[in-house]
Amino acid sequence: MTDSNGDGKLEVKQASKEVKESENVAEKYSAMTVKNTDMNVGELSAAFTAVPTLKSVKKIQFANQEDKQEFSKFPTKAGRRSLSRSISQSSTDSYSSAASYTDSSDDESSPREKNQANTKGNSDFCVKNIKQAEFGRREIEIAEQDMSALMALRKRAQGEKPLAGAKIVGCTHITAQTAVLVETLVALGAQCRWTACNIYSTQNEVAAALAESGVAVFAWKGESEDDFWWCIDRCVNTEGWQANMILDDGGDLTHWVYKKYPNVFKKTQGIVEESVTGVHRLYQLSKAGKLCVPAMNVNDSVTKQKFDNLYCCRESILDGLKRTTDVMFGGKQVVVCGYGEVGKGCCMALKALGAIVCITEIDPICALQGCMDGFRVVKLNEVIRSMDMVITCTGNKNVVSREQLDRMKNGCIVCNMGHSNTEIDVASLRTPELTWERVRSQVDHVIWPDGKRVILLAEGRLLNLSCSTVPSFVLSITATTQALALIELYNAPEGRYKQDVYLLPKKMDEYVASLHLPNFDAHLTELSDEQAKYMGLNKNGPFKPNYYRY
Amino acid sequence: MSVQVVAGKMAEVELKDVPTKDLSPISPKSVEKEGIKTEPSSAVSAAASPTAEPSPNPTKMPQASAMKRPDQQQNGGEAFVNQDGTVAEAPRMKKIQFADQKQEFNKRPSKIGRRSLSRSISQSSTDSYSSAASYTDSSDDETSPRDKQQKNSKGSADFCIKNIKQADFGRREIEIAEQEMPALMALRKRAQGEKPLAGAKIVGCTHITAQTAVLMETLAALGAQCRWAACNIYSTQNEVAAALAEGGFSVFAWKGESEDDFWWCIDRCVNLEGWQPNMILDDGGDLTHWIYKKYPNMFKKIKGIVEESVTGVHRLYQLSKAGKLCVPAMNVNDSVTKQKFDNLYCCRESILDGLKRTTDVMFGGKQVVVCGYGEVGKGCSAALKAMGSIVYVTEIDPICALQACMDGFRLVKLSEVIRQVDIVITCTGNKNVVVREYLDRMKNGCIVCNMGHSNTEIDVASLRTPELTWERVRSQVDHVIWPDGKRIVLLAEGRLLNLSCSTVPTFVLSITATTQALALIELYNAPEGRYKQDVYLLPKKMDEYVASLHLPTFDAHLTELTDEQAKYLGLNKNGPFKPNYYRY
Repeated sequence: MTDSNGDGKLEVKQASKEVKESENVAEKYSAMTVKNTDMNVGELSAAFTAVPTLKSVKKIQFANQEDKQEFSKFPTKAGRRSLSRSISQSSTDSYSSAASYTDSSDDESSPREKNQANTKGNSDFCVKNIKQAEFGRREIEIAEQDMSALMALRKRAQGEKPLAGAKIVGCTHITAQTAVLVETLVALGAQCRWTACNIYSTQNEVAAALAESGVAVFAWKGESEDDFWWCIDRCVNTEGWQANMILDDGGDLTHWVYKKYPNVFKKTQGIVEESVTGVHRLYQLSKAGKLCVPAMNVNDSVTKQKFDNLYCCRESILDGLKRTTDVMFGGKQVVVCGYGEVGKGCCMALKALGAIVCITEIDPICALQGCMDGFRVVKLNEVIRSMDMVITCTGNKNVVSREQLDRMKNGCIVCNMGHSNTEIDVASLRTPELTWERVRSQVDHVIWPDGKRVILLAEGRLLNLSCSTVPSFVLSITATTQALALIELYNAPEGRYKQDVYLLPKKMDEYVASLHLPNFDAHLTELSDEQAKYMGLNKNGPFKPNYYRY
Repeated sequence: MSVQVVAGKMAEVELKDVPTKDLSPISPKSVEKEGIKTEPSSAVSAAASPTAEPSPNPTKMPQASAMKRPDQQQNGGEAFVNQDGTVAEAPRMKKIQFADQKQEFNKRPSKIGRRSLSRSISQSSTDSYSSAASYTDSSDDETSPRDKQQKNSKGSADFCIKNIKQADFGRREIEIAEQEMPALMALRKRAQGEKPLAGAKIVGCTHITAQTAVLMETLAALGAQCRWAACNIYSTQNEVAAALAEGGFSVFAWKGESEDDFWWCIDRCVNLEGWQPNMILDDGGDLTHWIYKKYPNMFKKIKGIVEESVTGVHRLYQLSKAGKLCVPAMNVNDSVTKQKFDNLYCCRESILDGLKRTTDVMFGGKQVVVCGYGEVGKGCSAALKAMGSIVYVTEIDPICALQACMDGFRLVKLSEVIRQVDIVITCTGNKNVVVREYLDRMKNGCIVCNMGHSNTEIDVASLRTPELTWERVRSQVDHVIWPDGKRIVLLAEGRLLNLSCSTVPTFVLSITATTQALALIELYNAPEGRYKQDVYLLPKKMDEYVASLHLPTFDAHLTELTDEQAKYLGLNKNGPFKPNYYRY
């Protein structure tokens, strides 16, 4: 992914992740993002901080590195807004634009060279500045309020300490939401050592707060690649402490342990992996017969999938378009490419606002669903001339080609909700005869010689990552799922999980959902004994067979 | 499922034809009807075990019925119509374990089947029934088809049906059905050249209706030899069976078989010298059961079983668990396309249709509680919300509950809202979801109906107490009156509303039939070893093919992957496009 996110904050994952990237990067921006921060700080700090768009250091294969240069040209303040989200495959997309209040650029010495100790005299951590702990604590407290499910879990399971004895090494975005997760794990009895899965996403003050509270954290915003691996190594490689659980986002930690400390796996009870990329790597390991511990794929749990894709995109498509273009939706003709979960969400939202929506699809089953939901199924070429908006949600590449861009009408809005930045062939627009005009952050007018303008959002990168936010509620779902997966793996009787990649048991999935129901003041009905017997179900679930499609 | 089918349309008819003042005249009839119905209900309850029912082949009737109705009206006038209307039942004669039902069924007036409705719902594939309305179903001829000697015009006598002379009639029905089943016709055209079923000897047991006939003739066009029996003693359309027999198919079925007839027909299908089936197409599992019991040797030559109903699938899984399944079986009931159409799309429409036909209720602003938020519940909720109703949902599964929340429905317990709602709809598949206690607390005029499964969801039996007065106000509509004058409007006596008071579109039947045909082709042509002795789901690619055959109906233009895109995604350009765990 060359996806450099115009945002300072939003940065992309680091280089090392070739693999991931290869898959696609963007994805990485994960769910765990910071939302509060963004909001609070976002506008202000962003403006000033003006981090030159961190060109994402993506090392990846995407050749169009030219992009980078392009990006660098942009006004630095581009990064006004930090957004995050986890989309589609995108749990994958992890990133997060942590806006750090306290991220003073004045202090330029590397955290690695500093000697810091928390108030208890412990110095087993490495963060930017331990003095920011109080700030971070406030952030965490705010996040706690939004993550009632995790707090409920903390309360319910605190007595039995289901993670007593667990030594968890984690590699995720380090944000206030993650901090709530980490502290929940600690409350349940685990010892944690933590590092960042993204060189830019760390909220320094949150890391400081975690360090202050005694968690060994190795992370700061703006690590170099070398720093990145050094942090991971510090997490894993401690005398007298050996991890027995791994919580990973992207698979870097697993990869490092696998390469450097294969012996650790002897004591490891399991790996919990959140991202598409990481899961993909695990499946590859598993296929190659090299996976030597059980791994839990939390990315594909029902609840997480629905929230990352359907529900999140349903809202962010409107939000992203409004923020960037202030377009009015009623009566507009929109084509949505792809009718998977993301496409379904987009179509539903747009239809609700009175837009005239048609879809394109390659899968006949999804196409038939589109028909039955009342959308015209067309080929893009058939309608491209008359559309006011083109939204891609396919996960594919070159869905909107130059030829189609040429045929669009004046003022057509083109954006991508799908996956990485490959769906719209933006590179083909970088030709001399076309003029690019940046009209706002994340909004470019591409002007044809005849004066026709096409409005390209976020340069073809993910609209919902670039121009919208991820609600804490969604992050809460992810974090709760991770916590339950850890508990399940840690407490599973010998032999339940072999050396393979598992999906979260349905019962856990249901439990995650049930922990979030109080947010809606929802009152779940209970089966009577008689009814449970009639249905052949346990009163406490699981309620559906594994192949149930929801 | 002993489903009752009721003439959905009858209600309409009544309304239109009968001036309101005339309502009283109707009531006598309604009484009659009631009598009739009660039986069914008991039968139904017996059938309750969800599993046990034969699948509904959703089938066939809609058109037949449509055609008929006019006739009837002409003939009989209103009164006549009304009467019939009420009954229209095609109880599914499941031979299975529900012993009690049978008697019930046998008791029913033979003309019951005036209206035929069908559908396959929820688990309900299960619910099969179907009231085939046979134009030509003259009750005058009372000799059993088993005692008759009949031949078709080519001199073949290898069939047993009511009356071969009805063939022309049946042919017309089949032709009409063909027009509504473009996917099957397209399949016929596309595969005719290669004859993928050449050499297949298929023995089938399904509802015998015009739609099934289209399926059978498609199979024959693809090269198969077919012998067919009915999976339901009431659902056969006699004229269609005649047309099939005339066309050279060995069909053993007529409307109103006895149980003995039922098994005799199946046996005649299977037990023939010089002909041994190598494929089974079953709906409900009776045929499979019969072969398993009587002719176990036959399985040696059988390449596979295709089973459509929930019940049959359940029986197959049991066999498989017990290690007794000796051939591969294909579960077409759980294919994505079929499931979505049977449940979500079909119920989304039939809930409104069913309520309108029976009660003429206005939906805007009404408070409705939908019990259960599975596919059926999702469809009902979406439809009602679109009409401006205020919809509450009850759920037991937290994941579905969370979906309901995110879709904008208040998730409540039934007891919390029961006093204030105007309509209660059950879609749980469970029993006693609406109990007497709740019924007691409902407000005056509350409408109670069941979209879920069999007739167990509403505890109707608890309403048959002396202090409550039942008043049949229309076909399928009862007022239950409390001593204080409060009335509750109970639809279809707690049986399935969409079976009783609505129709199944041929389009849905077309999806099922196409799926069956493709499953047969897949099993028959699968290379040795692809399928073991187990129960399989239809391969995703086939599922996608079924969907693609139906897209032209919507003038939908499917996009094709370019080579480059296919490579990028790691997909074959022709599918399958999704991993197996994809949830759609």
